Amino acid sequence: MAKNITIFTTNTCAYCGMVKKWLSAKGMNYEEVNLDEQPDRQKEAFEMSGSLTVPVTVITKHDDTREVVVGYNLAKLAPAVA
Amino acid sequence: MAKEVIVYGADWCPSCKRLIEKLNTEGIAFEYRDVEQAEIGNEHLGIAGNNIPEGKRGIPTIVVDGEMQVYPDDEWLKSRLDFTSDQTPDTKVHDVVMVGAGPASLAAAIYTTREDLDTVLYEKGVVGGLASITDWVDNYPGYPDGISGMDLGENLRKQAERFGAQIELGEVTGIKTADGLVELETTDGPVKAKAALVATGSDYKRLGVPGEDDYYARGVHFCATCDGAFYRDKRLVVVGGGNSAVQEAMFLTKFATKIDMLVRGDKMRASEVLQHDLEKFKDKITVHFNTSTDEIVGDGKLVTGVKGTKNGKQELFETDGVFVFIGLKPNTGFLAGTSVELDDIGLIKTNDKLETAIPGVFAAGDVRSGATMQIASAIGEGATAALRIREYLEELAR
Repeated sequence: MAKNITIFTTNTCAYCGMVKKWLSAKGMNYEEVNLDEQPDRQKEAFEMSGSLTVPVTVITKHDDTREVVVGYNLAKLAPAVA
Repeated sequence: MAKEVIVYGADWCPSCKRLIEKLNTEGIAFEYRDVEQAEIGNEHLGIAGNNIPEGKRGIPTIVVDGEMQVYPDDEWLKSRLDFTSDQTPDTKVHDVVMVGAGPASLAAAIYTTREDLDTVLYEKGVVGGLASITDWVDNYPGYPDGISGMDLGENLRKQAERFGAQIELGEVTGIKTADGLVELETTDGPVKAKAALVATGSDYKRLGVPGEDDYYARGVHFCATCDGAFYRDKRLVVVGGGNSAVQEAMFLTKFATKIDMLVRGDKMRASEVLQHDLEKFKDKITVHFNTSTDEIVGDGKLVTGVKGTKNGKQELFETDGVFVFIGLKPNTGFLAGTSVELDDIGLIKTNDKLETAIPGVFAAGDVRSGATMQIASAIGEGATAALRIREYLEELAR
């Protein structure tokens, strides 16, 4: 169960829109970090995901453990937010 | 005695719609409360915060005799409600199910829904398909100044949904026919329809060279609009010489300071217009003809270079990242073992009615053998397929 969700996105990334759409359809709130607007946070996204790609979805659970899902991957997102 | 059942949902929530359909199918009486109404929304939040384990706040939320569950699954529902049947989540026989939600399907869905045909689309990736991850579309008629691929995909989605198309975010893994119906296996369970449209399009091909998989998303990329922003003031290699390669290389100049384009042949395959546009970027983009891409190398963490062979001589192109656009491969893997006939490169063979070898299963767009791989033609094929499907359904009803 997610305590909070952060998504790293860019303006042109269609897969980022899909993650946001999917979470919204589930009625879940999220914080969005747009790397076009905040390029200084790219390093943070890379350190969390190990990847130079977006979307990166960081799910912080109630026990403060974190799960990081790279890309629009429902097979990983669904259990991560469940 | 009947149980008291309350469902909290919203009109825009497909899972809510499915739950409501399921309860109706099972003949379970319930009260629907729309969380979009401020008072109900607050009530829902209050309930969720106070009573639901782990503080889940989502819809649909169901309350059965005071017991609440967010996102109730079949097992939960069956154990608490008097379901008479052992039905799967989607038991309805739809008029049409479309596999993929790119331009071909979305165009087809605009037509079928306007004919009042119950239409469901399954999309495992991006709604709008490859078009949506294309930076800019300049050759789609009706947009004199061009349109971003993302906006075009979004417009198509909105138009299809306006007429009632239902888009499910899930994957179709198999297709067959039984008792005159098309049965699809999906990640949400089996789905039945009177007809189906396969419009799964294509995906970018991979190079198949050493290092490509090892450095995937760590310097090797297939989507410039997704990952280009990570290469501000960096050096890049773009592999390919077709329309996509040229278009995306030009897009990447927004970020990269220097781009080496590696083209296997002795000339570009891209259109004359794009080649002309490319000239304007010659201070940033250097084109290397007769150059194969042999290996992607790195420091174990990120890409540092591309080994290639230029005019028969080995060369190392130092780079921070590689974007690969070397053509398309059809998304027809899920049809393996079915009666749908494929051509030598895996595209779906259809007759002049766009019908595949399985009656009632049609194909349109990039995935169809003979397709011209253009958004405009995919949309045209989608419209044609919709009209053929209508004829098929009329025939079926006779």
